[in-house]
Amino acid sequence: MRKPGHYFSVLLIALGSAFIISCTPGACYEETNAYLKATFYSNKSKEKNSPDSLTLIGLNKTEKIYNKESGIQPAFFPLDASSESCTFVIKINNVTDTIQFIYSSYPHLISKECGYTFYHKLDTFYLSRNAFYVYKSSNNVTTANEENIRIFY
Amino acid sequence: MRRISAYFISLLILLPAGNLFSQDTVFFPLKLKAGIDIAGPGIYLSDRNNLSFEGYISFDKSEKMAYVLETGYLNYKYSQYNYDYTSKGAFARVGVDFNLLKPETSLGKYWAGIGLRYGMSLFNSETPSFQHENYWGTVTSSITSKKAIGHFIEVAPGVKTEIFRNFSMGWTIRLKLLISGGAGRDLKPIYFPGYGNGGKRTAAGISYFITWNIPYKTKTVITKPEVVAEEAVETEQKTQTTNTNF
Repeated sequence: MRKPGHYFSVLLIALGSAFIISCTPGACYEETNAYLKATFYSNKSKEKNSPDSLTLIGLNKTEKIYNKESGIQPAFFPLDASSESCTFVIKINNVTDTIQFIYSSYPHLISKECGYTFYHKLDTFYLSRNAFYVYKSSNNVTTANEENIRIFY
Repeated sequence: MRRISAYFISLLILLPAGNLFSQDTVFFPLKLKAGIDIAGPGIYLSDRNNLSFEGYISFDKSEKMAYVLETGYLNYKYSQYNYDYTSKGAFARVGVDFNLLKPETSLGKYWAGIGLRYGMSLFNSETPSFQHENYWGTVTSSITSKKAIGHFIEVAPGVKTEIFRNFSMGWTIRLKLLISGGAGRDLKPIYFPGYGNGGKRTAAGISYFITWNIPYKTKTVITKPEVVAEEAVETEQKTQTTNTNF
């Protein structure tokens, strides 16, 4: 038979571990924004192809999300949780269009440390000039690494 | 022939006699126990946003096993830079405790063992305000109070010892596994009664109980040391060997 002291030692180690786990101050390491994720495809080859230059800006905003950046794949579109739609001006290799997304938003707990974010359900989208062909692959806009639309340029 | 008969008679006398002498008994008091947790109020002294009360009753089925019912109440508030949160409600756990100490060590006074529990929690959680910031600016919103039922299981090792007649103290570590937080995938409870952080699949906690023991029956537990049993077998083997040699 093992001595009671043996059990006590095991329990003491477990107690210490539990105490350390429960008292570790939390820091937020998770992604806190749910972006709409767009993958770029060549309209000719239909193959995945990142543009040589991408500029993206929200309508009526001054701060650019991407500014003539190359090799972007995928692009992250931040949706406005306070509204049911938002519009972006997108310029791919000197071809410009505006794209409006229609969606609904709902709160989602990321973690105790990070707090809440908004997830979105993508309803539809509109292009003003139809300069690109856009295909919707998933309407769940979350923090997961999941493609939402494909842009053929 | 006479000598064979003599050995047989001796063997018949020895075998039951061996059992009789090796038998050892312990008078083990089976108890009804009622306890309160002092860790919860203790934590409240240092953290005024976390008020919890907990108590339990248990019923010894045998010297090794007891049925346990634990209940409690939690009023929890939490605030950080981007949200406020409250959770309030009651919980209950049912399960069994297994005493790993031998009856002759435990004597009904000492307990070192492990408990298994199923827990259920009925609570209201609310997020009075939260902020979310992104490219378009800061959105302030809230999540209204919702009732939810959470489910979890626990493994609870611990120790207890009698400090006065019929009063004991001891602590239990709680290693918990979440089955369901009860509020869906998007609005998991940040903290709920009996479990803790509902955003995590596992949680840990501790209880420190003061217990009142009410003995209701004394059980005579027969303990048979292995050494004595071996001696009896050896005696039997020696007798058989002697018979064969003859």
